[in-house]
Amino acid sequence: MDKAKKLASNIRLFFSYRELLFNLARREITQRYKQSVLGYAWVVLNPLFQLLVLTFVFSTIFRVSSFKVPYVIFLIVGLLPWNFFAQSLSSAANALTGNASLITKIYFPREILVLGTIIAKMVDFFYSCLVLVLFFAFYHVPLNSQIVWVIPIFIIQLIFTAGLSLLISAFNLFYRDIQYLLSLIISLWFYLTPVLYPIEQFPDKYRWIFIFNPMSVIINAYRQTVLGGGEPNLNSLGIATLTSIVFFIISFLIFKKMEGKFADYV
Amino acid sequence: MIKAENLTKQYSLTKQRTFKEFLPALFSGQETKTKLLALSQLNFEIKKGESLGILGRNGSGKSTLLKIIAGVTKPSDGRITVNGRVAPLIELGAGFHPELTGRENTYLNGSILGIKKKQMDRLYNGVVEFSELQEFMDQPVKFYSSGMYMRLAFSVAVAEKPDILLVDEILAVGDVKFQNKCLNRIKKFQNEGSTLILVTHSPTQIEDYCQKVLVLDNGKQIFFGSSKEGVEIYKKILS
Repeated sequence: MDKAKKLASNIRLFFSYRELLFNLARREITQRYKQSVLGYAWVVLNPLFQLLVLTFVFSTIFRVSSFKVPYVIFLIVGLLPWNFFAQSLSSAANALTGNASLITKIYFPREILVLGTIIAKMVDFFYSCLVLVLFFAFYHVPLNSQIVWVIPIFIIQLIFTAGLSLLISAFNLFYRDIQYLLSLIISLWFYLTPVLYPIEQFPDKYRWIFIFNPMSVIINAYRQTVLGGGEPNLNSLGIATLTSIVFFIISFLIFKKMEGKFADYV
Repeated sequence: MIKAENLTKQYSLTKQRTFKEFLPALFSGQETKTKLLALSQLNFEIKKGESLGILGRNGSGKSTLLKIIAGVTKPSDGRITVNGRVAPLIELGAGFHPELTGRENTYLNGSILGIKKKQMDRLYNGVVEFSELQEFMDQPVKFYSSGMYMRLAFSVAVAEKPDILLVDEILAVGDVKFQNKCLNRIKKFQNEGSTLILVTHSPTQIEDYCQKVLVLDNGKQIFFGSSKEGVEIYKKILS
């Protein structure tokens, strides 16, 4: 009961600082490409080149099967959400340590720093979806109304990402090893998530790995609704919703517990 | 307004900063932490409108106390009650971003200090006027001189009357003329009922601005009371 009350007051405090949240996100977006010629276009160009390289490797050299759609279409539906996930985690790792000067001087709810960078990555994600629109138009991919499922799936992904980011940012403040470990884990995680290949191609006896990997449920659900044109597996999506919400709340509580020590250790 | 009861802050310094150093130390039974008592058992109370000067030699815990009042770090024992909006003038411009313009930084820094956009719209002209940076507001602050940088930072920090103003030896902002302007602004806030918490090495500033003084030495409270007496005691410690 006491915990619930504390959680509620923390959430209220967070909302009173929502302007700061968007200002920090805007700061991150505007300053990132300031001294580059192409500027924000990099947000679209990066996934485009990544997509072309991966498509060449996995459809021409390795020949991965991709249902009935061209491989590039198959890939992009999984790759863009994955990129959002991976980039959020790696920038969240530095969200607290990179703002040490603020943390030691001024009080505001620290989760703002972490969630602000996720919002910035989310904006990147939306822009990168231009590439998706481009390819879908080029290949005349048929879409139906099931595509609205993308919205709840994205929200689940967002909650899960936010929870994990809070944990990573807080632990990285105490042990900087986390940020190095993280890039290793992300690349391993990438291969253990059905982004490059359909889930059916994964050997049966290792399939259990996906049960412990929320991202595989999420990526798979995007594919089922966008490319398969059907409903996602509501059962596993329900479990994913519940786990990500519980996971987020636990992470938030841990984060708030550690928050008081941030200024002493950063 | 501000009340400290048995306020204590202890830092535990980890000797080993990484897993690589930490794990062997843990298994071989070496000590992994050393304790540092930064503040011990402070008791004081400041009423609304009163101002407090904090005196003490380097390393006596003055800045730690300011951080606790600002809510940046938590006391490890005892209690502190702070009522009202706190504006820290501790190391100005901490929230500035070099690539953003003066205007963008003003709004960003404002929101860090808890000033909403609408409020800032109203205060903005005052900030620009106070900083005397009219022609430079649309330039990235990385092109500012350090004096201009500090002027803008100070102007943002004092844009809105705070309930509690924390000042850590920063009254060396810009030239003498601007310094006087800053001091006048602080004085004005005091007259309007703000509490000033001032850390300085200058006894005359304490006597000018503060009714109460807290003298710290090695984290211990040597004296709390009227500023005249406090300054005398501080001088004794120094000699």
